[in-house]
Amino acid sequence: MLGSGWLFLFGVLAAAGLLFTMVFFIIMFSDLECDYINPIDLCNKLNTFVLPEMGFHAFLTLCFLLSGQWTALFLNLPLVAFNVQKIMNKNHMYDATEIFRTLGGHKKECFIKLGFYLVSFFYYLYRMIVALISESE
Amino acid sequence: MEDPSQQLPPGWIAQWDETHQRHLFIDQNTGQSQWEPPALPGAGAPAPGPAAGGHTKRRQYAAGQTQAYYGESGVVHPPAPGDMAGNAVGGSSFFTPAGGDQPPAQPSGFYNPTAMGQGPGVFSAGGFVAPAQPSAYQQQQPQVGALTDQFSQMGLQPGYGQKQFALHTVNLVGAFLDPRELVGPPPEIRLPPGACVSQEVTANADYTYQRCTMNAIPTTNSLLGKAKLPFGLILTPHRSLKEGDAAVQVVTDQVIARCRRCRTYINPYVTFIDGGARWKCCMCNVSNEVPQMFDWDQATNTPGDRWKRAELNHGVVDFVAPTEYMVRPPQAPVYVFLLDVSQHGVASGMLATATRTILESLDRLPNTDNRTKVAIIGFDTALHFFCVPSGSTESTLLVVSDLDDVFLPKPTDLLINLTEARAGLETLLGRLSDMFVDTHSVGSALGPALQAGFKLISSLGGKLIVCTSTLPTLGTGALKAREDPKVFGTSKESSLLQAADAFYKTFAIECSRSQVSVDMFLFSAQYQDVATLSCLPHYTAGNTFFYPAFNAARSEDAIKFAHEFGEILASPICLEAVIRVRASRGLRMSSFHGNFFVRSTDLLSLPAVPLDQSYAIEVQIEENITSPFVVFQTAVLHTTSDGERRIRVVTSAYPTTSNISEVYASADQVAIATLLANKAVERSISSKLEDARDALSNKMVDILTTYKNTMTSSGGGASAALSIADNMKFLPLLTLGLLKHVGIRQSTQIPSDLRAYAQALLTTLPSQLLIPYLHPTFYGLHNMPPECGTIGEQGVIMPPPLPLTSERLERHGLYLIEDGQTMFLWVGRDAVPQLIMDVFELPAYEQLRTGKATLPLLENVFSQRVNAVINKTREMRRGPYWPHLYIVKEDGEAAMRLWALSMLVQDRGAENLPSYPQFLTSLKERVNGSSYT
Ligand SMILES: [Zn+2]
Repeated sequence: MLGSGWLFLFGVLAAAGLLFTMVFFIIMFSDLECDYINPIDLCNKLNTFVLPEMGFHAFLTLCFLLSGQWTALFLNLPLVAFNVQKIMNKNHMYDATEIFRTLGGHKKECFIKLGFYLVSFFYYLYRMIVALISESE
Repeated sequence: MEDPSQQLPPGWIAQWDETHQRHLFIDQNTGQSQWEPPALPGAGAPAPGPAAGGHTKRRQYAAGQTQAYYGESGVVHPPAPGDMAGNAVGGSSFFTPAGGDQPPAQPSGFYNPTAMGQGPGVFSAGGFVAPAQPSAYQQQQPQVGALTDQFSQMGLQPGYGQKQFALHTVNLVGAFLDPRELVGPPPEIRLPPGACVSQEVTANADYTYQRCTMNAIPTTNSLLGKAKLPFGLILTPHRSLKEGDAAVQVVTDQVIARCRRCRTYINPYVTFIDGGARWKCCMCNVSNEVPQMFDWDQATNTPGDRWKRAELNHGVVDFVAPTEYMVRPPQAPVYVFLLDVSQHGVASGMLATATRTILESLDRLPNTDNRTKVAIIGFDTALHFFCVPSGSTESTLLVVSDLDDVFLPKPTDLLINLTEARAGLETLLGRLSDMFVDTHSVGSALGPALQAGFKLISSLGGKLIVCTSTLPTLGTGALKAREDPKVFGTSKESSLLQAADAFYKTFAIECSRSQVSVDMFLFSAQYQDVATLSCLPHYTAGNTFFYPAFNAARSEDAIKFAHEFGEILASPICLEAVIRVRASRGLRMSSFHGNFFVRSTDLLSLPAVPLDQSYAIEVQIEENITSPFVVFQTAVLHTTSDGERRIRVVTSAYPTTSNISEVYASADQVAIATLLANKAVERSISSKLEDARDALSNKMVDILTTYKNTMTSSGGGASAALSIADNMKFLPLLTLGLLKHVGIRQSTQIPSDLRAYAQALLTTLPSQLLIPYLHPTFYGLHNMPPECGTIGEQGVIMPPPLPLTSERLERHGLYLIEDGQTMFLWVGRDAVPQLIMDVFELPAYEQLRTGKATLPLLENVFSQRVNAVINKTREMRRGPYWPHLYIVKEDGEAAMRLWALSMLVQDRGAENLPSYPQFLTSLKERVNGSSYT
């Protein structure tokens, strides 16, 4: 299992990146609540990150699928399905006209995703270490 | 003051006894029952049934309320001393159900078959009971006092030294609801003594500017949660003034005192401290310096009197703003007309009517200092720009057919000064519709036209006024005919009410940023996607008007559009406006409904504030309120159409209470219904129509259950009565009206354009228009009292409105049903030829045609009175709308008949909609059921 160490290293880095994206989103939302940013700029800013975030996560999941990491795959599949469903319903983008009404929901979603990426981060880290140890033996 | 005639002492209920045909009164505390109404000094017959009720109630109608209602509609019936006996006068009066226990042939009307032979003399007959009785009003005084006494004896805590709200409980089951009570003012706001620095009654803003769902605010969030009433503010800061309305006071000396911490404007509810040198803010308690100019009159250079200043005496006041309040110099009004010149627009006569109306309205457009600018752009498959050089009478037409990258063909002379280019503009408008009379182009580049108009005025701001007859099909913002009748009535229906294309939201945001407001006038006979197109007015604070299947060949259509369009053009507009609502500590504005863009958590941005548009704001109690009263202050910073920067400040104060009965006794049912309508529309778009309806009926069950458990002695047990406070007794009926409304109701038939337009109206109409829209007005014309339709002291005297049930339709009758947007003239199948002759100038009922009509004004008294009533209906509520008149025959076209009957909301509707008694029964079952658990 030479590749799995590298794969999980990639996973760790990806999860860290996604983690920071979520932290960024949450900071932006609280800026909006404090009137540091107006809803139009906020939505323009965040919307540039929405699809890359989803795509990156989907790519990571694809890597797990190709390398046959079933546990990691099943961990990530629900989120992929959730994202796909949002895109299908065309409500994945932030809407400046509705942002104040939906802000609570957006924040909740971001916090849940934050928690998920955090868990994933430690899980990938653990799997990476396990892989490295088994490799060195 | 509320009408107490239906009131019973606490713990008493009235039950209708079928066998004895009278009320049985039961004291629920002791179980004792009696036929006589329980003793209340001076009380009339309590809780009368539907049949006997009319007279008793009307006899005791509070004079104040009558005044308030007829102040609008102008009916003041002379007091008739002989009518004191109430019930004794004519069993044939209007409030007796005609179809039920009485034969229709009874001589109740002026035009019934038996009365025929008597000729016009019958006009003076009839059983009419005067609704207002000064003497009865006098009688009520001791009664209310006694009630209040009783309440204080019962140990209800006195508030903060102010007068108590007396809670009157009524039983909704079998209760008679007089439609006139709906138009009265909300419960009085009883502030503690000393709350206000002014003695003026105007110190609190009039409810037509700002009203709260409760006129006594709960001190804690848990009390609010317990009462289940929605907490919100209904605003109409820019309302029209009719003759007799007090003009808004203006502070012209540019001395604007504001709190240094929370930026509240000084108002009658601040307190002066330190011998008057400082003032304490009523919102955040910070002390601020009083400007020296408060005691100095700049105009005369003499000492002034601060107590005479308008901002300390008036709840509604306009400040002339100094330059700090300007981002740029005040802009002139700018109007860009985007006119559909495609074949649809030309063939329907829309273009001709629109250009003629603009031409006729040129003098009425706000243009005090000759700065107003105008542009006209036509669009079909290309864009047609009209270039009018100033001073010339000629105009040139420039056609741009590149729709992908919209550009302006000429940098100047497209947007022209109204005064300078008047001659050219008049010539252009005069022949514009002829220029396109032979057009064959089918298609609509609305999106590119909007972009072009935006380009033209984005640096100035102003109004884009769109008149379009078709679905946009070309370029950006092209839409598809997505309507699918199969999803009507299903959970997918709300997707048809959402915007189909993101362009209409992003463009709206761009417009809002550049201070451009969009008005939409829509005319299509086919699907036009009103839901998507109305997004632009929604987020840019404009108006949407919809004329389905418009055809100017019908004079009624042309008159309606010309009137409404003309009113919009002539109305003074507020430009570049922002609205912020501030409230006392502990209160927070949590969500906003209406036509605007929410720019930050508490700032609403409106490129233009239209006249008579209403906004609803939900309020949250964040921390416990300790002060004896709270203040809400709405500030609208705007530029008037005269080019002056102004701030309109609307301040109203409400007492607080820790007593749930006061919360109920002070609830404003009209404001609650307005807020519920706004929330229901939002829910139906963001979620499902079904959810919106469920939320409405659940809310009603919650309120009634809590009321029963806390305010009546039956507590948690089952009860035959359905109790609610007298001042909220219309709430279930209004909710039913909303549940049955085109915008909300369960149906598999309603085209989504009609739904979307109804929803747009539900969220923008001010209360005086919204209430009839939910609860139409219903008059009997054939038997109206002789003075109705004639000019009284306050204009045309209106007939007394009837309850909204078809039981009141007599077969020989003539009725008017109207909801402020549409009027139906209902003709009974046995209407006598004389009536048909007098009103329609036709020999017989058979010759009468169903449909849109203009009533002829004939040389007979009855025709003139009917016309007077119809004209009064059109103008009595402030607003731009001109309702169509439809003639409906009792045995005529089914669709038209059902439409008219759907306005009688107390009846069972089509598609299994419940009648009002059925609705009450289901509410009662749920109230009793939920209290067992
Ligand atoms: Zn303050």
